[in-house]
Amino acid sequence: MKIAVLLKWVPDLVEELEVDDDGIGIDTDDLKFKLNEFDDHALEEALQIANDGDEVVAIAIDGDGTEKMLYTAIAKGASSGIRLTGGSNSNTANLAAGFATALDGGNYDLILTGVQSVDDLDGQLGPILAANMGLPCVSVVSSLNVSGGVATVTKEYSGGIVAEFEVDLPAVLGIQAARETPRYAPVSKIRQVQQSTDLAEKSVSGSSTSGTIITAMSEPETGGGAKMLDDVEDLIEILKGLGVS
Amino acid sequence: MFSEQERMVFIGLVVICGALAWPGFYNMFKIIRKGGEVNRFDNIIKRFLTATIDVLLQKPIFKTRPFVSILHAFIFFGFSFYLLVNVSDLLEAFVEGWTTIDRGPIFGTFNLLADLFSVLVLVGMISMLYRRFVVKPKAFEFNDNVLLHPKVAKGSIKKDSLFVGIFILLHVGSRWVGTAIRMAEEGHTNAWLPTASLLVPLFSDMSPESLEQAFHITWWIAMGLIVMFIPYFPRSKHIHLMIAPINLALGRNTPVGALDPVIDYSSPGASGILELPWPQLLDPYACIMCTRCHEVCPAHESGTSLSPSALEINKRYLMNESGSSLAAGEDIQLLDSAISSDAVWSCTTCNACVSICPVGNEPMQDIIQMRRSMVFDSNMPDELADTLRSLDEQGNSFGESNRKRSRWTKPLNIDIKDASKEAVDILWFVGDFASFNQSCTDTTRKVAEVLTAAGVDFGIIKKGEKSAGNDVRRVGEEGLFESLAEQNIEKLAGCEFNRIMTTDPHTFNALKNEYPALGGEYEVVHYSTLLLEMMESGIINLDETLSGNATYHDPCYLGRYNGIYEAPRGVIERCGLSIVEMPRNRDNSLCCGAGGGQIWMNDHDDMTQRPSEMRIEEALSVGVSRFLVACPKDMTMYSDAVKTSGHEGEIIVEDIIDLVYSAMNMQVEKMLPSNVDGVLT
Amino acid sequence: MAGIMVICEHLAGEFSDITFEMLDVANKIGGDITAVTFGSMKEKSGELGIANNVIDAGGDTEYNPESYASGAKAAVESNSPSIILVASTSMGYDIGNPLAVNLGIPLASYCTGVSSDGTNHEFTSSLYGGKMSVTSTAAGPAIALMLAGAGDADAGRVSGSPSLSQVSGESLDRVRFKQLIEPDAGDVDITQSEIIIAIGRGIGGKDDIEIAEELAEVIDADIACSRPLVDAGWLPKSRQVGKSGMKVKPKLYIALGISGAPEHIEGMKDSTTIIAINSDENAPIFDVAHYGMAEDLFDVVEELIDELE
Repeated sequence: MKIAVLLKWVPDLVEELEVDDDGIGIDTDDLKFKLNEFDDHALEEALQIANDGDEVVAIAIDGDGTEKMLYTAIAKGASSGIRLTGGSNSNTANLAAGFATALDGGNYDLILTGVQSVDDLDGQLGPILAANMGLPCVSVVSSLNVSGGVATVTKEYSGGIVAEFEVDLPAVLGIQAARETPRYAPVSKIRQVQQSTDLAEKSVSGSSTSGTIITAMSEPETGGGAKMLDDVEDLIEILKGLGVS
Repeated sequence: MFSEQERMVFIGLVVICGALAWPGFYNMFKIIRKGGEVNRFDNIIKRFLTATIDVLLQKPIFKTRPFVSILHAFIFFGFSFYLLVNVSDLLEAFVEGWTTIDRGPIFGTFNLLADLFSVLVLVGMISMLYRRFVVKPKAFEFNDNVLLHPKVAKGSIKKDSLFVGIFILLHVGSRWVGTAIRMAEEGHTNAWLPTASLLVPLFSDMSPESLEQAFHITWWIAMGLIVMFIPYFPRSKHIHLMIAPINLALGRNTPVGALDPVIDYSSPGASGILELPWPQLLDPYACIMCTRCHEVCPAHESGTSLSPSALEINKRYLMNESGSSLAAGEDIQLLDSAISSDAVWSCTTCNACVSICPVGNEPMQDIIQMRRSMVFDSNMPDELADTLRSLDEQGNSFGESNRKRSRWTKPLNIDIKDASKEAVDILWFVGDFASFNQSCTDTTRKVAEVLTAAGVDFGIIKKGEKSAGNDVRRVGEEGLFESLAEQNIEKLAGCEFNRIMTTDPHTFNALKNEYPALGGEYEVVHYSTLLLEMMESGIINLDETLSGNATYHDPCYLGRYNGIYEAPRGVIERCGLSIVEMPRNRDNSLCCGAGGGQIWMNDHDDMTQRPSEMRIEEALSVGVSRFLVACPKDMTMYSDAVKTSGHEGEIIVEDIIDLVYSAMNMQVEKMLPSNVDGVLT
Repeated sequence: MAGIMVICEHLAGEFSDITFEMLDVANKIGGDITAVTFGSMKEKSGELGIANNVIDAGGDTEYNPESYASGAKAAVESNSPSIILVASTSMGYDIGNPLAVNLGIPLASYCTGVSSDGTNHEFTSSLYGGKMSVTSTAAGPAIALMLAGAGDADAGRVSGSPSLSQVSGESLDRVRFKQLIEPDAGDVDITQSEIIIAIGRGIGGKDDIEIAEELAEVIDADIACSRPLVDAGWLPKSRQVGKSGMKVKPKLYIALGISGAPEHIEGMKDSTTIIAINSDENAPIFDVAHYGMAEDLFDVVEELIDELE
């Protein structure tokens, strides 16, 4: 089985975000980025489901962090990494166009990616890519089994209810959670991989479709937000007022 | 002289036993040679001289268990002298007319020593056997959850001890009786053999022929047993008498705070026995299985599955069992044969086991080598993986943005210099805990205020300081440690300063001992040393001092690792308090349990009582209500322990800076630079 | 004014709350409103009184991403709406996104609000885990994925008799629905709890849950959590509050160490009183909480336990 895992570099939400001078984006000076958490789950699920002889190929659009993402994926057990030059990761449409070119003719049985990312305003990568490529797609997958060219997945709904689906391969899946928390790749292993492995390269281009146009970005109005308390005593007063203990 | 047949039989016995013993000794040698390369042969003469003196003075043994150490000294000196005695016994059998009795004062003195030592050895050995089999000290027991080699679990150590004990009793006892028989043959006692003389009346009724026969019997028991014991040595802990002095001589002479470098980056650390550096393969042969190490181990004492003693013992039993295959290069996995995974992750890297070992073993080093290998395979507790991820992404173990690292300075009314932008005398490397942990930031601020009030030219790296990585290295993530160190070294290279100061002993250890190998050589000082310096030179002047008692807890990485015991005590005493020492102080200090990554991991399920709680109770037992620390992790651990052990209100935990701050309060007005707007918060 | 289309979401024979929220949003925009139903939900078109017309787009009784997406496409092609509202939910992702690609029209995700003059639309979206609010525009037909809470479900529940028509999409058989699986009951049904203490990543380690449990005992509350703690295996799924977990409406919701990402807020925003404790004063949870403390949660909880015991 040949599995592709699509990776994206996103801002680390541990940071405090600020709007940039243009007013329509975030200030990326000094901003720490990292691999999209859901893509990490997609990679973990791919590694878990792969058997001996299966290939797990990590793919990312070229940019800051691409080497780190791909070498880390290989250190975790991916068979190889592909760096996509010429494309853009500025929005989902561009990502989908770039990945579609890269995946075309690659004979992938499964294409896994994170269900969403923190900045995918113009839509979720999985279903958009699948529609571009004419492949079936199920998003918000939290369990996966493959047998005889068919994937059995569970798709999460609300209230803890899940729906079980069968999907004919090849297919795209948007992963919500892997069966295990994503494994840690020791830095020494990543460094070792960096020295001993080469990344493949493929040339792709971005999308020609235009999406919505961002006109403004701001920190949400906290008007009507919480009344901030300084003292635990005040909090206790409020709790007593609510009839607690 | 003995008959020709007897002599031939004896020589035959020696040859046979030699042949039987050879494979055991040779395998041992081959196994040790297969271990990882490390240089312990520098200054070889000095090493052996020092070791000889230490052994003769029994210094490593007297570190603890004084009464037992005296018993051991009896046996040690007695048995060592017996080498000469046995030479004389051989001469008696093989040389016509050889005797030591009635041959003048030199031989007389020889006899006197032999006589007295015989009794000391017998007394010592009987006492030791009594201790093991009747008293049965708790220290000899392993926690139920400790992984033990099946033979050990069935009592093999006791059997070994009994064997050795009986051998010594018979060997020495028989010879002692033999001397009495010799005197009975002469018909009189001898002043040079006082204790043996007491036995002479027992043999006065025997005929000369029976006496001669009896003497031969005692000779054969004594000498025969020794020869037959030789093949047993490679299987017994008794071989320590040959290997321990060698182990001590070839011990580590580099700072213990600098870990061994990785030998093979494509497979770091050790997963199999033979992948350990060779001194770790010598250790099990030196090990006397005395359990002194797990007695001082905070992990074992608190009920977890880690016993450094079991680790060395298990290794020894595995090496005994599979000696030939190991010697041929067939490796055995350490995990789950010598030690369990849970035990590996229970170690706090406090170095107490290494420090107390009388034969120079380093069980902690084995654990770190195993961690390197396990981390390389991502085999570690989930919480640890999360913390390492945070350290990699943001340079701190708190999951906070690196940009928030100097937030602790906000409540202060002082402007602290940015050492990455201007030259300073003292660069203060703050560290993770002092920067982010809520129980520590008040202390950090007080340090800033005191330094400012004293007019010290100091600064911090406001942007870009990352964890120094000491504990990252101790959990085995070499790559991440190097990455953090490289970043810090680069940052420091762009700064101008004379010395680096830190309040955190872990940070202190890394900067001082680990960074030089990566190109970062600095003069590093702990804030206790700096404070004392300033008090001694008058920069800090305390008219108004405090009074009362307090106890001081020696942090592992400041005390045991780096030998700094007196500076913090000096500071405390100059502030006016008198120190009441806890029983376990200085290099015997009990680790708070935070090191080795423990503070990043969940409590182990089978922990009966946290080491930090035990320590608080130790402090209360010496009657103090003030517990002083000089480390941010200690501050956190002990503040928590006071609450969780139910002693809130009975004892308070304070940092040494709290004392200085209070004692200076009277002075604050006088010493403030005039443009600072008051430091009291 | 050109029309608004609402893609109605249902589960196990009932329309979801978000369907009514979207109808409310559509109503406030104004104009001709068309609701699209699937499976046998056309029988309940009487609940969709806000809509002027209902299109039955066929498809299986229970949600199937492929048949519903192609049915939605057929509905759009027959109706030519100017704006299409799809739920920003698990079901909505697999309808809205393919729709955008197959029709070649723009899509805005995570919408908390939509306004339109018929041709030009303005979307307000929540991005970066709730830390940023983004305004974007599109001219001509566009899709908005609407977050829960963007509209008022009660206001959207209006009985009526919209006219009914039918379309049918392609049937592909690549994705097949097998069954719905209910979660394990668990010992506590947090949707019935009066007081909930919810813990998030800020709790630190598994051992630290103890202190929250202690407080829960003191004030007689039930423990709930955000998703990461369930993924890590510290608490069962039945305790998860959020988009794919439980929706709760207790008298009192105390959030400890929860940042307040939209997925979590969705599950608890209707609580009567919300108190949040998080050491990060910029955490989005403080936008939805009634009272907050930007302090270390352990200090606060310890004091609460001491005082209230």
